[in-house]
Amino acid sequence: MINENKVILMTRMASYEQKEGKRCMSIAKYFRTDYVARHVLKGIIAGTIAFAVCFALYVAYGFEEFMENIYKMDLFAFASNVLVIYIAFVAAYCIILYLVSTYQFIKARRSLRCYYQNLKKLKALYEEK
Amino acid sequence: MTGLLELRDQIRKFYSRNAVFILPFIKFVVALLVLGQINAELGYMAKIDNIAVLLIVSLACSFLPSGCILFFTIVFSLLHMYALSMEVALVGFCVCLVMLLLYLRFAPKDAVVIALLPALFMLKIPYVVPVVVGLVGGAMSAVSVVCGTVLYFFIHSVNVNASAIMAMEKDSLGKIKLILDGIIHNQALLVTVVAFAVTTLVVYLIKRLSVDYSWTVAMVSGAILNLVILLVGDIIYDTNLSVVSMILGAFLAVAIGKLVEFFRFCVDYGRTEKVQFEDDEYYYYVKAVPKMTVSKSSKTVKKINPQRSVVTERTGRQSEIERKKTGRTVTVGNEYYDEEEDGATDSSEDDFEDLF
Repeated sequence: MINENKVILMTRMASYEQKEGKRCMSIAKYFRTDYVARHVLKGIIAGTIAFAVCFALYVAYGFEEFMENIYKMDLFAFASNVLVIYIAFVAAYCIILYLVSTYQFIKARRSLRCYYQNLKKLKALYEEK
Repeated sequence: MTGLLELRDQIRKFYSRNAVFILPFIKFVVALLVLGQINAELGYMAKIDNIAVLLIVSLACSFLPSGCILFFTIVFSLLHMYALSMEVALVGFCVCLVMLLLYLRFAPKDAVVIALLPALFMLKIPYVVPVVVGLVGGAMSAVSVVCGTVLYFFIHSVNVNASAIMAMEKDSLGKIKLILDGIIHNQALLVTVVAFAVTTLVVYLIKRLSVDYSWTVAMVSGAILNLVILLVGDIIYDTNLSVVSMILGAFLAVAIGKLVEFFRFCVDYGRTEKVQFEDDEYYYYVKAVPKMTVSKSSKTVKKINPQRSVVTERTGRQSEIERKKTGRTVTVGNEYYDEEEDGATDSSEDDFEDLF
């Protein structure tokens, strides 16, 4: 005899495992600090490349003006300004990343907790039999 | 309303049965629409501005993950820009790279929104997107809407300045400056980005509120807010956006929003229940809003010849199975049964429906 409750539970769990569960399980492999740190590190690299690209476009945009003033301007002050903007940009990006990855981690853990509860229910259904 | 709900259930059933075919078909249509619009807007490279190439790539998109639509959109745009000028393609590549690095790797699901927005801008119906994305997406989806808007204005800027770029010939820096000016000093881009981002966030926040008709309130207020920001922006910065298009877009946004609501959040606020209870640790104030559903019409067996009831009982299971297979009138041995529709639920039929 087919146990309807068991079939429904197993179908739901299989669907979860194939879709959202896959991502959640890969997140839950890490400790929270490791997961967040990994994302922030990736963010620093991505932010640095993105900043370099934006800076290159900025220089190309005002290249003529830049070349005209290059001997007059204080290059050290210019470099320090760029550095400050870079640090501010990467820091802001990393804070956003920290918040997003923490939220993702908490959400994944909560979702997996529900999945494990369903597993327990399924085990109980098997034991009833 | 009952008819509509039945239709919705039928559409859902049809989709769930044929999702294997419907989903690739939708992807195919979206890819065809987006790439076709890119070709129509730019169209500088004759080799890819070709219906055969378009069909092949769209067909490939139908079997590949949905993010590939954005990938091919960017590839098509960059190839057209390259045919116009290498410098323009380089700037385009940089803009796409920054988008990819800073945002897209977190939300690959939103790639379709970014790809779809330029096409909808070209079709003059972009105002639908922030409302619909706010309803079905999350708060971060506002960034996708911003990325899609920037991508469109970049493509548009290339198209508008194409003749000037061609005239510049070897002035590489001039070309880069001209293209970047089209983004940096574009007031219409600024106003649209602000309007769309704010609208998406407001729609998302309102729809999450625990108030009656939150989805309807969200979409109507979002459409109005979008309209107001765009109009105010137009007055302040003289952006030359079409007012008629904006108003029609707002109506269309609400209409499509209602359609989305009907399929995703169809509830009956008239039967809302508010209950209050407590346990050792908490007091609970629960508001339960029932979903609108229609009870499935089912078939019952009407016995015409009661003298042969023994046979009926013995062959009950068989008759149920045959009824399922053959339809309205079934035969069990020499017995004839007529079926009639009524509103009552036949539990045995439900069981067998699961089996088949």
